[in-house]
Amino acid sequence: MSLLAIEVTTPAPVLDTPIAASARNAVKIYRTGDTEVRALDGVSVDFVQGRFTAIMGPSGSGKSTLMHCVAGLDQLTSGSVAIGEVQLAGLSEKNLTTLRRDQVGFVFQAFNLIPTLTVEENIKLPAALARTKPDPEWLATVIDTVGLGDRLRHRPDELSGGQRQRVAVARALASKPRVIFADEPTGNLDSRTGGEILAFMRSAVDEMGQTIVMVTHDPIAASYADRAVFLADGRIVDEIQSPTADSVLNHMKTMGD
Amino acid sequence: MLKLTLRTLNANKIRLALTTFAVVLGVSFVVSSLVLGDGLRNSFGSLSEEIVGGTDLQVQPVSDFGTAQPLDASLLTAIEEIDGVHHAAGQVVADNIQPIRADGTPVSTVGPPLLGFSWVDDPALSGFTVVDGRAPDRGLEFTIDEDAAAANDMRIGETYGIVTPTGRFEMELVGMVRFGESNATLGAVLSQFPLETAQNLFNRSGQFDVISVAYDEAVDREAVQAAITAVLPAQVAALDQAQLLDDAKADFNSGVNIFNNILLGFAGVALFVSIFIIANTFAIVLGQRTKELALLRAIGASPAQVRRSTLLEALIVGLVASALGILGGLGLNYGLRAMFEALGADLPESALILAPRTIVVAFAVGVGVTFLSALAPARKAARVAPIAAMQDSLDAPRQSDKRRNLVGAALMVGGITVGSFGLFGTIDGTVGRIAVLAAGAVLTFVGLALACPAVAHPIIGSIGLPLRILGTAGDLSTQNAGRNPRRTASTAASLMVGLALVTMAMVVGESIKQSISDTLASEVRADYIVSSDGPINSALISDLTASGLFSAVSGYRYDEIQVDGVINGVMAGDVEATDRLFDLGITTGQLTNDPFTVAVYGPEADEKGVEVGDQLEVMFPSGATETLTVSAIFDSSTIVDDNYFISIGEWDRRFGQSNDWWAAALLSEGVSSESASASLAGLEAKYPQVGFESQAEFRRSIESQIDQMLVAINAMLVLAIIIALIGIANTLALSVFERAREIGLLRAVGMSRRQTRQMIRWEAALVALFGSVLGISVGLLFGWGAVTALPDSLVSTLAFPFSRISILVAVCGLSGLLAASFPARRASRLNVLDAISHA
Repeated sequence: MSLLAIEVTTPAPVLDTPIAASARNAVKIYRTGDTEVRALDGVSVDFVQGRFTAIMGPSGSGKSTLMHCVAGLDQLTSGSVAIGEVQLAGLSEKNLTTLRRDQVGFVFQAFNLIPTLTVEENIKLPAALARTKPDPEWLATVIDTVGLGDRLRHRPDELSGGQRQRVAVARALASKPRVIFADEPTGNLDSRTGGEILAFMRSAVDEMGQTIVMVTHDPIAASYADRAVFLADGRIVDEIQSPTADSVLNHMKTMGD
Repeated sequence: MLKLTLRTLNANKIRLALTTFAVVLGVSFVVSSLVLGDGLRNSFGSLSEEIVGGTDLQVQPVSDFGTAQPLDASLLTAIEEIDGVHHAAGQVVADNIQPIRADGTPVSTVGPPLLGFSWVDDPALSGFTVVDGRAPDRGLEFTIDEDAAAANDMRIGETYGIVTPTGRFEMELVGMVRFGESNATLGAVLSQFPLETAQNLFNRSGQFDVISVAYDEAVDREAVQAAITAVLPAQVAALDQAQLLDDAKADFNSGVNIFNNILLGFAGVALFVSIFIIANTFAIVLGQRTKELALLRAIGASPAQVRRSTLLEALIVGLVASALGILGGLGLNYGLRAMFEALGADLPESALILAPRTIVVAFAVGVGVTFLSALAPARKAARVAPIAAMQDSLDAPRQSDKRRNLVGAALMVGGITVGSFGLFGTIDGTVGRIAVLAAGAVLTFVGLALACPAVAHPIIGSIGLPLRILGTAGDLSTQNAGRNPRRTASTAASLMVGLALVTMAMVVGESIKQSISDTLASEVRADYIVSSDGPINSALISDLTASGLFSAVSGYRYDEIQVDGVINGVMAGDVEATDRLFDLGITTGQLTNDPFTVAVYGPEADEKGVEVGDQLEVMFPSGATETLTVSAIFDSSTIVDDNYFISIGEWDRRFGQSNDWWAAALLSEGVSSESASASLAGLEAKYPQVGFESQAEFRRSIESQIDQMLVAINAMLVLAIIIALIGIANTLALSVFERAREIGLLRAVGMSRRQTRQMIRWEAALVALFGSVLGISVGLLFGWGAVTALPDSLVSTLAFPFSRISILVAVCGLSGLLAASFPARRASRLNVLDAISHA
């Protein structure tokens, strides 16, 4: 018994690059009546800190489910997920909420902002919910980078779609989360505005060391990432380092075969 | 389109239920009022038949005004001699004939009278049959109705005290009687005495109050009636069976109708409040379905089709709600009865009568109100542009409210004008005045409801300030409550109406109480006020005087006289003692018991143009005319609330022996209330019907009467407030539904369930407080108007019960919190993923 305990507490080998979020043998099964859908079928993946990962795959491949489970919005049927060192399984709803608030940032496809709050209030929202004050210097940097300094007092309905997504990214960045999950962040934007948002996310990784995990089905969006992971039928089927639009597209074609 | 309407309703059962609930409550209240009224009318109808019984004709004294003189006993002999008269019986009746139980405590009721009758040995004429023992025959013996005997444990053969207007007597109980077939006395206690005894006890020696006649079989009834009428002196009338029945029913029904109309008035308030809620719900639901409606328009539905579909939906909701309301009303009928019985009213048992009229009214009201409420939202729905199907809008664009505000302001001004006309204008009759006032109030409320979105944002912003300490959840509550001023305003408007009425009632009640306190302090010098549920014993006045404790004692009685062809109230007492007991505000002359004098109320003297020393021609109910000299002019109408005040001596000459209704007494100098208390306790034991109240006790008992009345009024207005709170819960539940994505986003970025619940709850509290602030402001204004309009003799001081009002505000805020618990729970349990992914 004591031997076993010693074994467990033996420090794991220190990695060169820490893991921001991870999944191990993640299985997610949806049941509707008699039919059973295995949305995730044993996925293991690490998202390394300070890197930009794109999760790709056709509709129904499980890419959104993977993101939702890793981000603590949904629960696995079996397997485990972790944000940093914290295992999500068994966390109470309250602790999950706190974890999301402090460790995770979100950018959704649409409807990222609270319409009654100003741009500035939206950016400070997670901190306000935690009843803490965001680091003012960091906030200034974020706002500066987003380039919306003159719009802080505006309401979301006075902004363009691209501007709204930039505010959403700024909000995600403001709390210095361990990882930002972005779900088709450019899905509702035209290609030029979408490019701006992706470039902005890229720079957040390069200049601020932010970790970003983005779900997308757009090869061009994936080309902004450091790494593209491909899912099909709930399994990881492949991955590419430093993807380009062409390499991703080629890859998707071979997968289609 | 019908199929679509039905599917839509079916798909939104919760929404439907919430919308329906407000209508159901309103309709239930209307139905229960009608059912209760019908039931009461029915049981009073059968009671009337029992009262009339086998009497073919009744001879009664009549007069154009005031109390008629009793019949002379000789009239009975004259009637008995007429051909065709089978049997005639004279009877005397008196109120406040109180038996004393074996343990020495008096028999008492709350409301129903204690009646004494002379025995008539013919059940057809009297309505009484002996069920045990025998009839009262002579001397000091009596019978009592079987239920009163059972309730008070009275036994045949025992001797009990009986308190009468002429004193207390010990009498033997010789029998028990039943009134009619089932002894339906409605809670009254009925005692019977031998004729001569009753005449002596009730101050009716040689006199009758009524003579009842039964005809021989198979006679020409009209001929007999004509013959009887021929022997009647002036101021005496004969009423046949049909007239007697009509009179009895009309007597009861006028009471039931007043009661019923008051209940229906409250039901009207409840329905008025529900209109705001239903309209609001329809507006929100249709707003949420904008895309669906736009899609319908895009694929070819005409605006008229969209409007018809919406109105059809309202029609179905109205039908369902009315049907449920009828069921609810039958249940609520028992609730209302229980409430009135808890408040001391003894309502007769009555059958549950669901008249066809009630069903028609229920459907007309339920469907009408729902349909009316849906008109505006349906018009708006029909105007949805097809392009809206393709757009993604966060919030409905702000519309210009300028016209709406103008219309609202105009309605408010109109309402207040109409209301002032009702208060100060020249309208005859209370009903007309109330109708005009109600119309003014409705206009004012509608105007306010229209205009109040304009003030919603600033007011909510300022009352929401303290919520900042709750952090973001509090901030968001304030923002959310203010984000759609129209919705907030119409949600709050329903609460406003209820609270305005409650506040008004409270202001009027408080002002009356304050006025009484002020009057007592400034105008009452008497140390004791003696009062009773009925007439007080005349012997008491002489006992009080004989006790030697008091320097001034007077009893007071009331009747009517005619001056210059106008019927006026007259009050009588010991005028000189009254001068010491009260400050009547004598401007000229002196109060005196001198014969042929009268004191006149200032404004009346001005109108008649008389001064002290002038002569007044006065006609009494007997028809006799006298000339009285004006001895004094008084200016206060609090104590002497009639225009004319005469001495007891003067009274006895014109009205014969009669009873006092209350009395006042002033302690002699050097006698303290402590030293008097022993003698007073003795008198209270001797006259169990009366209560001796010191100034403070008298004030308290009047205050508690006013409070009791306020409780009854407010209990019924609470229904309107409950409907309003349901409206808040309803609106919020729909808002939560509408804002699902927003709440999902908040939850995703780290709002805890607790914070979510807090956000929704405080939003409700803010809306409730907003409604309270508006309602109470309006209520204070209305209360001021009502107090101004009421006569000075009733209210002379304006008082605001601020502590009670602040409690009211707090209760409403808290109820708002409570009302929000269901939507708040829903919001906090929202599945984050579903909320976000369902675009």
